[in-house]
Amino acid sequence: MNIEILKSIIDNKKKNSDFAIITNLMTGDISIFKKELPLNKNLENYSSEINDFFNNKKTGIIENSELFIETFRRPTKVIVVGAVHITQYLIDYIKNLNFEINIIDPRGYFASKKRFPEVNVINKWPDEAFKEIETNESTALIALTHDPKIDDPALQYALKKNFFYIGALGSKRTHENRCARLKKAGFSDEQINLIHGPIGIKIGGKSAPEIALSIVSQLVLISNNR
Amino acid sequence: MSNRVDEKIFEEAFDWININNKIALVTVIKTWGSSPRQVGSKMIVNEKGDFSGSISGGCVESAVVGECIDLLKKDKLSKKLDFKVSNQTAWDIGLACGGEISVYLEQIKK
Repeated sequence: MNIEILKSIIDNKKKNSDFAIITNLMTGDISIFKKELPLNKNLENYSSEINDFFNNKKTGIIENSELFIETFRRPTKVIVVGAVHITQYLIDYIKNLNFEINIIDPRGYFASKKRFPEVNVINKWPDEAFKEIETNESTALIALTHDPKIDDPALQYALKKNFFYIGALGSKRTHENRCARLKKAGFSDEQINLIHGPIGIKIGGKSAPEIALSIVSQLVLISNNR
Repeated sequence: MSNRVDEKIFEEAFDWININNKIALVTVIKTWGSSPRQVGSKMIVNEKGDFSGSISGGCVESAVVGECIDLLKKDKLSKKLDFKVSNQTAWDIGLACGGEISVYLEQIKK
């Protein structure tokens, strides 16, 4: 590998693009594969295998060849509503995982760059904030304000957009009330049941870092089982 | 799964090259049976034998570091290595868990 290829790999990671590295194990030749770029001429014979690996997010040696393909997929987008104490720990855990965090909180004193220097913080109400973030079925929502004014619009948005993971902080009681409000707003039981509430897997902790850990664990679990 | 973008080994490799001029990048390219690290796992090694990242749970790292130093000293571009369990060397370079792995070593120069 030469340093230019290494730079290009780092650059593609930084830009959150989907790409693959294809190495010829015999010759040592390396190329970067991207859907939107023309395939390297030497690899044309393996076009369908390469695309198969790439589309299925596979990494490995293409059968009966000397080609090793490594597929890199962009990090999963996670939207956290509430720039609260738990969020600070959440970010601490998540930074070593393949997630990209965006925080929404209309409350300026919470959503300050000083409290969250390394992530995208949108200091707006959810309805406005979502206009700035591209979302799809591969997006996750973590609602942590337990304030219906802030959490509910975000939860509604996530349900409508079929986010793959939706979790909301709050006690069982808080969650029951939340479900009732969503039902009133026209969401079906089936939809409402998709919300993980109370959020997180049971690890028996009550402190902010423990709650953050239980949320991150659940997010990783659901992401890996998709 | 190919969720290894989270690992910062490429960025680290780049930093290392700026200090060491050349390094070896090791990648797990194939595994059989139970092996601790999945295909695509990576490790970087410099000429002094310093290393970062992992390609097994500590089972074959020492042998691979030696191979990397050799690769860099002889200025070779790449090399493929296979590790199987062998009773005699299991303690040293085999995989204690009974797996087999192939790794690919490649030199990256400034």
